[in-house]
Amino acid sequence: MMKKIDVKKKMIFFGILVVLLLLFSVFCDYLTPYDPNEQDLSIAKQAPSAEHLFGTDRYGRDMLSRVIVGSKASIFSTLLLVAIITVIGTIIGIICGLSGKVVDVVLMRIADIFLAFPGLVFALAIAGVLGGGLHNAIIALAAVSWPKFARLARSQTLAIKEEPYIEASKLAGTSTIKMVFKHILPNIIGPILVTGVLDIGTMMMELAGLSFLGLGAKPPIAEWGSMMSDNRSMLATQPWIVLTPGIAIFVSVMIFNLFGDTLRDFADPKSSRRK
Amino acid sequence: MKKKITMLVAVLMVAVLAVGCSCQGGSKSSANKTMVIGDTTFNSENSEESVNPHNTYNGWACIRYGIGETLVHYTDDMNLEPWIANKWENDGGNNWTITLNDNVKFSNGKAVDAAAVKECFEHMIQAHDRAPSDTKIASMEANGNVLKITTSEPNPALMNYLGDPYACIIDMQSSNMEQGIVTGTGPYVVQEMVTDDHLTLTPNTNYWNGTPKLSKLTIKTISDGDTLSAALQTGDIDAAYGMAYEAYPNFENNKYQFSSIQTSRTFFTSMNMESPVISDKAVREAIAYGINKEGFVNTLLNGHGVVGAGAFPDGFSNFGGDKVKNAKKYNPETAKATLEAAGWVDTDGDGIREKNGQKLTIKWLTYPSRQELPLLAESAQASLKDIGINVEINNTANHKQFRKDKSSWDIYASALVTAPSGDPLYFFTTSCLPGSDYNYAGYDNPNVTKLVGDLSKEFDATKRGEIAVKLQDEILADDAYVFCSFLQMNLISKSNVKNYTAHACDYYEVTADLDIE
Repeated sequence: MMKKIDVKKKMIFFGILVVLLLLFSVFCDYLTPYDPNEQDLSIAKQAPSAEHLFGTDRYGRDMLSRVIVGSKASIFSTLLLVAIITVIGTIIGIICGLSGKVVDVVLMRIADIFLAFPGLVFALAIAGVLGGGLHNAIIALAAVSWPKFARLARSQTLAIKEEPYIEASKLAGTSTIKMVFKHILPNIIGPILVTGVLDIGTMMMELAGLSFLGLGAKPPIAEWGSMMSDNRSMLATQPWIVLTPGIAIFVSVMIFNLFGDTLRDFADPKSSRRK
Repeated sequence: MKKKITMLVAVLMVAVLAVGCSCQGGSKSSANKTMVIGDTTFNSENSEESVNPHNTYNGWACIRYGIGETLVHYTDDMNLEPWIANKWENDGGNNWTITLNDNVKFSNGKAVDAAAVKECFEHMIQAHDRAPSDTKIASMEANGNVLKITTSEPNPALMNYLGDPYACIIDMQSSNMEQGIVTGTGPYVVQEMVTDDHLTLTPNTNYWNGTPKLSKLTIKTISDGDTLSAALQTGDIDAAYGMAYEAYPNFENNKYQFSSIQTSRTFFTSMNMESPVISDKAVREAIAYGINKEGFVNTLLNGHGVVGAGAFPDGFSNFGGDKVKNAKKYNPETAKATLEAAGWVDTDGDGIREKNGQKLTIKWLTYPSRQELPLLAESAQASLKDIGINVEINNTANHKQFRKDKSSWDIYASALVTAPSGDPLYFFTTSCLPGSDYNYAGYDNPNVTKLVGDLSKEFDATKRGEIAVKLQDEILADDAYVFCSFLQMNLISKSNVKNYTAHACDYYEVTADLDIE
């Protein structure tokens, strides 16, 4: 019981951090000390100082402002990506779980094909074909990441579809759509949401990875992965230009991962005890 | 006993370590000198996948790495001097007489005579995309060491073109054109070639013009600038071509040396004349005034370049950029006034101008393999935004595909060596005539076409210079191109490397004098 209370406290603490991070991203445009896109070549590559806390990049843009504004592209793109794969995966999983037979076999074999390739490599190939840009990077990662949620939703649906209350609902003449929203979804959404939250950190890293490889945000949009990529040749000479967005990724991924972990422990105390 | 074994193990470990260290970079024993050069350009993405000079730009690799040589050699002032040929003369019309040195041999020991050169040129004309129109060779006659060339029309720049890498003299009998491995007259011969990975060279034992100093030379393809920098710092390579500007501070100490020279490689923009926005002269003019060339060169290139004016660098021969009148300097106020006068006004206060309800947005196409181009794009994006022009950048390795679709770009920023043979004609015939190879923008000005015709027939060097200056003024008056900067080439090598020297023409990287201590 004490353990559960501890977990709850942790979850609330990390939940608050997540909310703060999201609020920070929402209002980031109002928090920047300088225009993040304004170039001033006369102050290019300045080391961190009182005037520019994170220094300036090769175009003389304030790094602190760019890191702050970069949170919007980095965090919201990740949330959008996770939302897309969660929704699409869940819909496909429920369809498979409920319909069975040919539809299930076909959709699950398609999911197997996507799972057969290493995720990031496959995403790289898709992003390469679609071309650069944050939207295409999101599409590429979504294309390779939905099967995990489809499998989870399918297994959960299969587990509860034989439950007496579902049978009773069927006998009462409830339509399939109504049954899904009233009985199935509320009972399977817990593990899916936990998995989704746990995936935010991973997806943020993968999105930053694609951006780092030049397949993400286009200039002058500030996005942490592409900021690291664009400036990586200065790692040895002006390290702050590369390290500051890197630290931002590290902190954000850590907050989301820790929140996801405690959320999982809270939702499933058995797994926490097993640890 | 235990102590002895410990000592033995320690000695062995030191020996293994010493051997391991000696495997990095070049070996310095005088009998067995080896050297590794890291190069960002020797790859298929850059149209250099082999050393066959008759295939696209592969000739650059052939001449750069000391495999092939040409009839004439460019000085660092881009004047001609004898190389395989020792003299040449023209009769004032279509006939040229070229006399070859009588001691030149191919690396297989076969003597280079006029018949071998003729055979090589015949294949060059048949196989190479630019050589026939550049050289205009109609017929050739070989007699001992004398080659007579007749051109289809007067071609004053013939000898300049015969110094181009595509005119490397190779032995057609023993060269493997399919594999792209050729037999040249240079100080080194190909031992092994793996495209996009490495090229291994060994000394040409029959070399006619000195003695190669290295027993083995490896050209390692390293397309990524950061990897190149790391490789030179760790000692995996002894010298580097194509280092990123940001990495220079790592090598500005006594362990390394720089060899620098100005070149005629320009970073410039072509204006798509079929684009509805760009076809507006005021927009082109505003863009020419709105690009901060000085800031680009002095800050983003760390001063390793020259601000562009005309198609050729300032002081270049008698037709350099300092002689043109119509080049525009960065002047945002004039740019704004030009747009204002043409009716481009920001009516909704978002910082971007509009006209007839259309936003002033331009699509800027460029590519990443030349590190300067993405910097130019992002710099121009900011400076043009200041004057009310929104720039959307498409920086892609797939630029050739996009370039074909004229609706997908308004400005194409690229790099080009405008005077690879020291003569001005090349740039105008390839980039300014309707239908010419590099005239992607569809530029067409009858005055320019007429002047190019005059230039192609003029033998007098002074008059050629005057026409070349007039041509630059014409295209600058049209704002068809904006020449942003010229490359200062820097070769970086360890301090124990000798004679790894940059040349204005960017060709003669490996010579018989290249050495390592």
